[in-house]
Amino acid sequence: MAVIRMSMRYIRNEILVLPTRVIAVVFVLALLLMPLLTQDMYILRILAIASIFAIFAASWDLLSGFVGQVSFGHALFFGVAAYTTALLNLRLGWPPFVTIPIGALAAVLVGLLVGIPCLRLKGPYLGLATLAFPIMLMGIIFVFPGFFGGELGISGITRLASLRIHEYYIAVVLMLVLCYIMWKITDSKIGIIFHAIREDEIAVRASGINTIKFKLLAFCLSGLFAGIAGGLYTHFLRIAGPSMLAVLMSFQAIIWTIFGGIATIYGAVVGVFILFPTLEVLRAASEYRMLIFALIVLMVLRVMPEGITTFIRDKLERECPRCKVRNAFNRKECRVCYSEMR
Amino acid sequence: MKNQLLFIAVIVLALAMVFGAMGCAPVDQEEEVSPPPDEDVDEDVDEDEEVVEFDGEIKIAVTGPMTNIQGEMMWWGAEMAMNEINEDGGVTIGDETYSVRLIQVETDEIMDPLGAVSAVENVIISEDPHFLIGGFRTEAVMPYTDLVAQDYQKIFVICGAATNELLEGRIDEDYDTWKYLFRVTPIKSTDLVTVTILMLNEVAMAVREELGIEQPKVAILAEALEWNEALVQMAPQIFPTLGLEFVGTFRPSATASDVTTELRGIEASGAQIIYTIFSGPVGIPYGRQWGELEIPAASVGINVEAQKSGYYPATDGFGDYDYTLMTFAQNTEITPETIPFIEKFVDLYGQLPNYNADTYSAVYILTEAAERAGTLDTDAVIVEMEQTDRISAAGRFVFDENHDVTFGPGFVTALGVQWQDGELLGAGWPIEWQPDPENAPDLVVGHEGMVPYQLPPHVLEQWRE
Repeated sequence: MAVIRMSMRYIRNEILVLPTRVIAVVFVLALLLMPLLTQDMYILRILAIASIFAIFAASWDLLSGFVGQVSFGHALFFGVAAYTTALLNLRLGWPPFVTIPIGALAAVLVGLLVGIPCLRLKGPYLGLATLAFPIMLMGIIFVFPGFFGGELGISGITRLASLRIHEYYIAVVLMLVLCYIMWKITDSKIGIIFHAIREDEIAVRASGINTIKFKLLAFCLSGLFAGIAGGLYTHFLRIAGPSMLAVLMSFQAIIWTIFGGIATIYGAVVGVFILFPTLEVLRAASEYRMLIFALIVLMVLRVMPEGITTFIRDKLERECPRCKVRNAFNRKECRVCYSEMR
Repeated sequence: MKNQLLFIAVIVLALAMVFGAMGCAPVDQEEEVSPPPDEDVDEDVDEDEEVVEFDGEIKIAVTGPMTNIQGEMMWWGAEMAMNEINEDGGVTIGDETYSVRLIQVETDEIMDPLGAVSAVENVIISEDPHFLIGGFRTEAVMPYTDLVAQDYQKIFVICGAATNELLEGRIDEDYDTWKYLFRVTPIKSTDLVTVTILMLNEVAMAVREELGIEQPKVAILAEALEWNEALVQMAPQIFPTLGLEFVGTFRPSATASDVTTELRGIEASGAQIIYTIFSGPVGIPYGRQWGELEIPAASVGINVEAQKSGYYPATDGFGDYDYTLMTFAQNTEITPETIPFIEKFVDLYGQLPNYNADTYSAVYILTEAAERAGTLDTDAVIVEMEQTDRISAAGRFVFDENHDVTFGPGFVTALGVQWQDGELLGAGWPIEWQPDPENAPDLVVGHEGMVPYQLPPHVLEQWRE
């Protein structure tokens, strides 16, 4: 009884006080309860893929949004993990719960290898350098087609789970857990250093902090999460192909994140869950679909330049001028310090 | 810093718009296009003619890159068959008559092969088609044949991807899982190789006869892709058996816009023949530069771009005399069905049909199998599909043990086509092909209407000099 009472108090004091938290909880519950509402395999497929892409987009946000290491070649981590996972599964017969973590570790290693030469680069130079890596890897895939399958990719991989509903829950639960972990990282002391590096790296170094270490850590963490997404995607589709390393794949992560709200983690998730199904809906206009899609994104960003989640949050909530705690827009006084909200 | 990121965002979105304008949709699309044929209003129908009322419909999903020429060809071929079948009274299954209805599925598999699976699953769930046909890019066809066969147990007839592994190693190893897959067009990769080698032999004979060179030199010019890797490795070993000397392999990118270096290398090697293996857009710059630079070597092999009506103008006429493999040619009667099919196709759609257009045969093969089975039950239709023996525009269709179209004399062979003075003509092979001269000297295969292969004039001139 005490537990229930505590839970209710927590919900009332920590969740119901802020509209965005209510929206987040409703979103999570809707995802978890979706199979009770519909067993439509197509809907479950789209939501499962959206969940995998949400991990991928959030991992880009962790690296580029929080640390300011703008990567135009994020598909590298996704692709490395995808191919590692596929090869381990196909050649050695290892199951997904083994291949996906190893694939993610391979992506971490690649994150380290990419991070080191990129440490001295900034802005567009860093962006272009990171763009080169997946293109180089794609070249390697075509140079050794017997091993990597060339343009045909590697197929015949074990599926993620025997039933679609199981695959759905694996993707959704992992997305929720991993995005929560990423969000907590950005909210931790490490996250504060990440923020600081993005805003003024020289000042951080002047404070005695080894920024090289933290930038490499960001590359590795981002690679880890993107790698998990790559492994999941490979087992979900049962193929690893060169299109996983394509420039379009890297750009998608950027578009989703910026649309949702950069440097937030949850913005990347929202961006994917709005834009990915939107592209499905736009099938009716097949020839103009991408054009319509790009126009929608541009129009939304014109009105909401910091992303849809930031825009909604700023409309629904206000920051207390005294203690900086967020409050619902309709409150007249702060819920913590009782200062008057202006 | 955030402002910089937003600036980058605008750049990325602008790039996305460029991709969009180029038709590079990132995920799959599905769209139902064809209205039920029994609701069509045919203006030419005689008022006295009895209007057929159908008891139901057979739904066939056509999956492919519909905004590209390959997908358009798939759709047009299937549409032509659908209209013919419905106008002829539909398909009789048991005591009932069914119309055929096509569902167009835009998979966008050229740009986003992995997204194609969602489009296919969407159509299966929303429309529940009886059969599926199509598929172009192997990277896309592999996962969606997985889905169709393993998850939904529906018949899928491949009409665009040649890779052996789509059927080999599947049906022969696990029949119950993969029995749903068939291939109608094109013939499988290894058979394509056989045809190109036979075509190469024709060119070698022409070089010997007209240039007096007993052992012609051959250079391989193949796009750097996996599908042709086995062919590139195998071909040099075959050349000596044809009395040819191998001088080297050149591997440009499949999307290269300039192959001058490779062509100059071939010229320096002294080759009289270029054995081309192109499926990608590199085929057009190759054709233009080969003619423009007057490279003294005859061009033969696979050049998918050269199979299209627009190849000649795209190369400014320099692609004339390029010799490539194809399924149909306007002047060639493979079977009595060929010329009427091509003429009707050109009349309706204004373009020569390519191999993807043989979705036409696929629709007939499926509906005839259902008719023979007397049911739309998948397993019963598969049994009848396996018994298929049909004369169609591309040849005689009989499926082998892997559910692949049988290649060889009397079945489907494909043919050589050559651009001659701006016309794409069936030429060279097979005119008087003796598949087994020792054991069956009387077996001679040839198609009516084919013209002899011609060496390009600039090759003749330069070697005679």
